[in-house]
Amino acid sequence: MDNKIRTLIDDLIKQAEKEGFLESEVYYESDSSMTIAAREGQIIQFESSDGAGLSFRGLMNGQMGYAYTEDLQEEMIPFLLSQAKDNCAVLEVKEKITVYEGEKDYPEFNGYNEELTKIDYDFLSKTALDLEKALLSYDKRIEAVDDCYTSYSEGELYIRNSKGMICESRDNCFDVYLGCRAKDGDDVQTAGKGWVFSDLSQFDLKKCADHVGKKIISKLGAKPVASEKMNVVLDRFAANSLLSSFAGAFSAEAIQKGLSRLVGKLGEKIADEKITLIDEGMIEGSPLSIPFDSEGVSSKRTVLIDKGVFSSELHNRKTALAAGVSSTGNGFRAGAKSSIGVSSTNLHFENGPFSQEELIKKAGNGIFITALHGLHAGINSISGEFSLMTEGFVIRDGKLCEPVNQITIADNFFDVLMKVEALGNDVEYTSPEATHTQSPSLLIPDVSIAGE
Amino acid sequence: MLSKTSIERILAAALSHGGDFSEVYIERSKVSSVSLLNGIVESTGSSLDLGIGIRILEGDKCVYVYSNDLLHEDKLIRMAKNASASLKEAPSGKTTVLKPMMEYFSQKYEIAPTDVSKSLKVEKLRKASETAKAYSELITQTGTSTADLERDVWIANSDGLYIKDNRCRTRIMVQAVASSEDDKQTGYYAPGSGEGYEFFERTDIDAIAEKAASVAVTMISAKPCPSGKMPVVIGNGFGGVIFHEACGHSLEATAVGIKASCFTDMQGQRIASPLVTAYDDAKIAKEWGSYEVDDEGTPSTTNLLIKDGILNSYLVDKIGSRRMNVPSTGCARRQNYAYAPTSRMSNTFIAAGKSTPEQIISDTEYGIYAANMGGGSVDTTTGDFNFAVNEAYIIRNGKVCEPVKGATLIGKGGEVLMNIDRVGNDLKLAQGMCGSVSGNIPVDVGQPTIRVSEITVGGQA
Repeated sequence: MDNKIRTLIDDLIKQAEKEGFLESEVYYESDSSMTIAAREGQIIQFESSDGAGLSFRGLMNGQMGYAYTEDLQEEMIPFLLSQAKDNCAVLEVKEKITVYEGEKDYPEFNGYNEELTKIDYDFLSKTALDLEKALLSYDKRIEAVDDCYTSYSEGELYIRNSKGMICESRDNCFDVYLGCRAKDGDDVQTAGKGWVFSDLSQFDLKKCADHVGKKIISKLGAKPVASEKMNVVLDRFAANSLLSSFAGAFSAEAIQKGLSRLVGKLGEKIADEKITLIDEGMIEGSPLSIPFDSEGVSSKRTVLIDKGVFSSELHNRKTALAAGVSSTGNGFRAGAKSSIGVSSTNLHFENGPFSQEELIKKAGNGIFITALHGLHAGINSISGEFSLMTEGFVIRDGKLCEPVNQITIADNFFDVLMKVEALGNDVEYTSPEATHTQSPSLLIPDVSIAGE
Repeated sequence: MLSKTSIERILAAALSHGGDFSEVYIERSKVSSVSLLNGIVESTGSSLDLGIGIRILEGDKCVYVYSNDLLHEDKLIRMAKNASASLKEAPSGKTTVLKPMMEYFSQKYEIAPTDVSKSLKVEKLRKASETAKAYSELITQTGTSTADLERDVWIANSDGLYIKDNRCRTRIMVQAVASSEDDKQTGYYAPGSGEGYEFFERTDIDAIAEKAASVAVTMISAKPCPSGKMPVVIGNGFGGVIFHEACGHSLEATAVGIKASCFTDMQGQRIASPLVTAYDDAKIAKEWGSYEVDDEGTPSTTNLLIKDGILNSYLVDKIGSRRMNVPSTGCARRQNYAYAPTSRMSNTFIAAGKSTPEQIISDTEYGIYAANMGGGSVDTTTGDFNFAVNEAYIIRNGKVCEPVKGATLIGKGGEVLMNIDRVGNDLKLAQGMCGSVSGNIPVDVGQPTIRVSEITVGGQA
């Protein structure tokens, strides 16, 4: 980090005290990235960026006021302090909010891989061109690779407050995204997938291209099925997106505000006993590990559903104080501009005993779902209802058959938790396909499918 | 701010080692927000965003770099040179001379919203919260908030264009939650405008709060929506999201220019029922999605997309114009300096027809009346779209009957446009945010009441 920025942060905290703030904290984030897009054997787009932003928060009259700037000059200090002061004057938050004194030891984690810093323009462009070529050669029916992106990015986070707490982290990664269209007669299909690599040795160009190639070819000829209630197997990607859409229900912030179906349910059975749901900041060997939250609280392992019983909520320091418990290390900002809320770290259902094939066999007849669309609109995050466009394959006599699209899947997330029949064993955190929310494949009976 | 000569040097540096066109976009934005939960001020925000984006075109190839650091011209020149060098061409001695700066006012606001004390905004939001709560005993939570943006934008390019644009937008959001023993349903309205604080002042937020509360209360007693293919009457205003998703995105040069859209090479051909005429009109005064000049410095237009069912025009930006050999339609937009601009919608709507909404309902024997829509999404290549219905009713024997919840409508853009068999006379616009490759931007959707003869309805029943 630039020395000038360190000096700016020092001065800001000093001047905040002079201006009458009892406590103050600075959250500084910077990132840089390089992205290449290839099409038709040419580099058609190159993007490179260098960004930084600084958020100040200060305590005055019992309220914590925030202000943010991307103009990082000493002259901006008065702007930040006066805006934060004005915000303190209108806030009416009842809970006492303070900045954290920090901890002696934080979990050790290095998300920054020196080897990745070798990635340059030439590597990114050659890789993008090779990826496009590999995907086009997978099958003649693949007409074009409309999205072929390679990217390197790195980021830095620095939190410092008037109680002497300093939390810093750095990370970097190499990303690939491939999306293509295929045509067979009048039938046009699209497919895409992204990967995040924290280690170049995990990157296998042909494997990425083949994955998307296989995916799109398998979708050719997809048709709707008749509307009825049936057995559904959600693959782990579809199940992940469902879980992440409803993860907010476990936030103590949502529960305390009455904006979750789980209000008053702590200690009660809310899921089938096969279900255990865990939030875990540090995961051995995973680049997704998160050592501390945006308040500087070290991350924890919190069991949210223990064999079907709602056993804990996710807390930041404010919600923990209101509930008379300790923070679970889930006080995160949605971005440097946002105030501190509650979010999960690495949230996952514990693996069940079955392979995906076994789940399909158990389903007998039904639909195998590979993606859910329109998650930003087709869900009611409070009631748990969802109705989403989806796609996948028919399951007949325990086997995957012809592809399906132009259908919807509708149910209620909380009902799904209760009626889930079997869980797969395919959650894995160390693969480049891993995301912060993970679910194994799920077999769910009696789900509404609408089509013809 | 960078001086005119600094910008000229950056534009020249950006063409030093390749590129036939360079562009600088500088932005300084003030954003302010305040939100109340159950009538209590829970969060406030104030931010200052500042950044510069430098774009180089070489044919239809694009190089884009951005930074927050406007203090060091030497760094920006280096950044521009490196960007140009990525095109790997012989050094050129191109220079740029900018014309005198032309100033635009995309929004001619009266009262700068960030100058107004937040406590004034709080009072009115608190009252609206009380109104929503008082609407029914079933209302258990209310959320009211406002957010506003003042943005100064400078755009300059190697053709000598140099403009400044003054932008401003204000939005008000009201949410009401109704609860029963085992269910919670939400009503939500969020009107916005290309105006300043005067919009907040003149808006009857209590009326919006009542509307939001009434949706929540109606939906809490709703049964699950039936599923399958059936006729659907879609209400005016935000109902226009169906055109936005099913057609609008697929008319953007982003997809059409690379022949990846389901409407590629169909200009002059029938793509919709003869009842459908549709516009993308960025010139409607004070509208949320309007602007005088786009993010490439091209003046905005009223773009007739579809006339009586025939595809008339696409949405074309500068790169799209190079790929498609047609002029730009002034639709290049971006969320902020962190995104290169691309073809996007502004205020997009189906024009008014002749039927009254009452006639359309009474002509429908059985189906769904989708009174109030949520958001949606589309795959512009296949035309597969989906969107959520926030407030729906069963139509039986030409009458609107009981409410149903949890409905999603899906289909293919090409098919649904052909299946529009009634267009009402009650055109209305509504405000939303649209997310795509160049980020989230404010847009209006709109339509009169329409009927689609057959569409797949996804519900739980």
